[in-house]
Amino acid sequence: MNLVLQTLSDGLVLGGIYALSAVGFSLIFGVMHVVNLSHGVIVLIGAYISYALWQALGVDPLLTIPLVMLALFGFGYAYQRVIIELAVDRSSLLASMLVTFGVALMLRNALVWIFSPDFKSITPSYAFTFFQIGELTFDLVRVAALGASLVLLGILAFVLQRSRLGRIIRATAQQDLAARLCGVDARHVYGLTFGVSAAFAGAAGTIIGIVLPFAPPDEGLWTLNAFVVVTLGGVGSPAGALLGGLVLGVISTLTSQYIGPAFPNATMFLILVLMLLVRPSGLLGNAFSGSR
Amino acid sequence: MARIGRRSFIKSVGIGVAASSLPAPMVRRARAQALKKIPIGGSIPLSGRAAETGLNVNNGYVTAVKYLNEVLGGVEIAGERYQLDLRMFDDASDPARATTLIQRLIDDGCDFFLGSFGSNIVLPTVAICERAGKPMVQTGGGSDQIFNQGYKYSFGMFPRASLQFLSTALFYKSLNPLPKTVSVVVTNDAFSKTAAQGVVHDCKAQGFEILDQYQLPEQVTDVSSVMASIRAKKPDVLTCVTHDQDSLLIARQMIASGTTVPMLFQGLGPQLASYREALGKYANGITVHIYWDERAPLKDKFFGDAQKFAAYYRQNFTRPIAYHTAGAAACIITYVTAMQSAKSIKPAAVRDALAATDIETLYGRVKFTPDGDGDPELMGGVVGQVQNGDIALVFPDNTKTAPLIYYPAPPWSQKT
Repeated sequence: MNLVLQTLSDGLVLGGIYALSAVGFSLIFGVMHVVNLSHGVIVLIGAYISYALWQALGVDPLLTIPLVMLALFGFGYAYQRVIIELAVDRSSLLASMLVTFGVALMLRNALVWIFSPDFKSITPSYAFTFFQIGELTFDLVRVAALGASLVLLGILAFVLQRSRLGRIIRATAQQDLAARLCGVDARHVYGLTFGVSAAFAGAAGTIIGIVLPFAPPDEGLWTLNAFVVVTLGGVGSPAGALLGGLVLGVISTLTSQYIGPAFPNATMFLILVLMLLVRPSGLLGNAFSGSR
Repeated sequence: MARIGRRSFIKSVGIGVAASSLPAPMVRRARAQALKKIPIGGSIPLSGRAAETGLNVNNGYVTAVKYLNEVLGGVEIAGERYQLDLRMFDDASDPARATTLIQRLIDDGCDFFLGSFGSNIVLPTVAICERAGKPMVQTGGGSDQIFNQGYKYSFGMFPRASLQFLSTALFYKSLNPLPKTVSVVVTNDAFSKTAAQGVVHDCKAQGFEILDQYQLPEQVTDVSSVMASIRAKKPDVLTCVTHDQDSLLIARQMIASGTTVPMLFQGLGPQLASYREALGKYANGITVHIYWDERAPLKDKFFGDAQKFAAYYRQNFTRPIAYHTAGAAACIITYVTAMQSAKSIKPAAVRDALAATDIETLYGRVKFTPDGDGDPELMGGVVGQVQNGDIALVFPDNTKTAPLIYYPAPPWSQKT
């Protein structure tokens, strides 16, 4: 029984990280229908920024999250307005996929150039701390990562549901033409959405950097994880990302424990295929399907 | 006396300067023409997942070639002096790209090859060189599959993976208290799988019980279930047959989940300065496979000894030296020695000389089995342990530089 509880708790904690790393991807896909293949590399950029600040100035990585989010918000806004918007205007949405893939390759190699290909690790003093509740053992950093994920996802959900900006984003996602007719600058909204997405990807990167060693080639893994989380949980909502991430985390740990540590990826893709067949919009559906 | 005008003066000075500079480039060109070049090519991961050690290997190649060309003024083979022309390209840790690069080099007339890093990359490139009849000497691939295909042109600086573990099994046997159970963690890749077979075989031969074998996917992000299992089953020894980044992840999660075993051995990982820096004091006590130490009294025909090699390396690179760097330099030394022995730079003759190689180098004795892998007795590794942030050699006794510490390992929080 203890092993089952331990496995479930490990899965939930892992799922929190997956959820945070995927919410930005989910938002962009839901609002703009853009498959952002550079999502994973933006996650890593967040990790590298925190790493650089931690190494150079000794700043605790969790304290760098606001700065990382601000920097990547600006980057994401510019990326959308300057590159993706141009690609979509001149060609099609498919072009955005190709463009983001190309940008991912360039940014990945830029990271190698700047930071070297060596793997990095952010290890603040609390990185190796654990605590126990009864017979269950918890990695403090991973639990803190889950907590941070819940807080940030909650903030995002609040912004989307209760703020003027959130209403504008939802309106543009639901009916782009109607939103424009109401005076919404859709291009600006898309830029803001991408900025928010990149900001959350960066925050996830900071947390991932504390939890695991990271290197530029890992960017593909985080893009792939985001795909699976969005397919499981649904598009466009923090709740969907949270649910998808938690489900993915628990599936990973249960598979690893009771089938074999070699099989989480295989199980993950099996679930992905089943979801696409049975419920392609995900467990919570498309958050912006409102008046379509 | 006729006046010399300003223009005439300038003209004559200009002509004089031009005339005096003419012979120099011609002399330089003549000197350059006297030194022929021997191209030695290959691919190496300078980006991608294998790049951390790929860079170490590449630095070894560059160091040796630079030393032979610039310090020794080239190498003499059959009475002629040659410069080595190193042509390495980034394969981005991608086997498909590596094979394309190797084929292109073959098509461009390159006759001698150096290996990439990673058995998954070395294996297909070795096959291409074999088909083309070009030798490859490498320090990046240990998978049995490289050496059991009957290839005649492939030579490796390590014993094959399944034979690499013998010294470590003997190390376990020497521990007091004697461990009884061993658990093995292995990632699903060409090298690790065959190495793990060797681990299991050698441990059983020494009388240890294999408690569990945990097979992880090639790319790992979480091992919490493995940690839970280890905490429940309590093996005496945990052996990790994983690559550097995965080894660090496993060690980190062990520490962060309070999972302690009396002896933790990781074949790859702790030999990197970045690994030890990431773990800090917690790295102390972790044991690792080591193939070279610059403090060892190893003599070399070209560099003098291992210390002089390390000193020359540090004049040219700030990157910490690793044993792969020395192994790579030894690949160059071995090639040159074989060419000198064969008195030829024809691939077939050099291949025969490589097969018969038995020399002392800065890396240690180099001698290949008939299948081309390193002789397991002469070129097998020793056991090192992280102590105060550095690697000390702890087994066998004749190579020891420090006694073993932290055995049985205390809880992680008690390490200093």
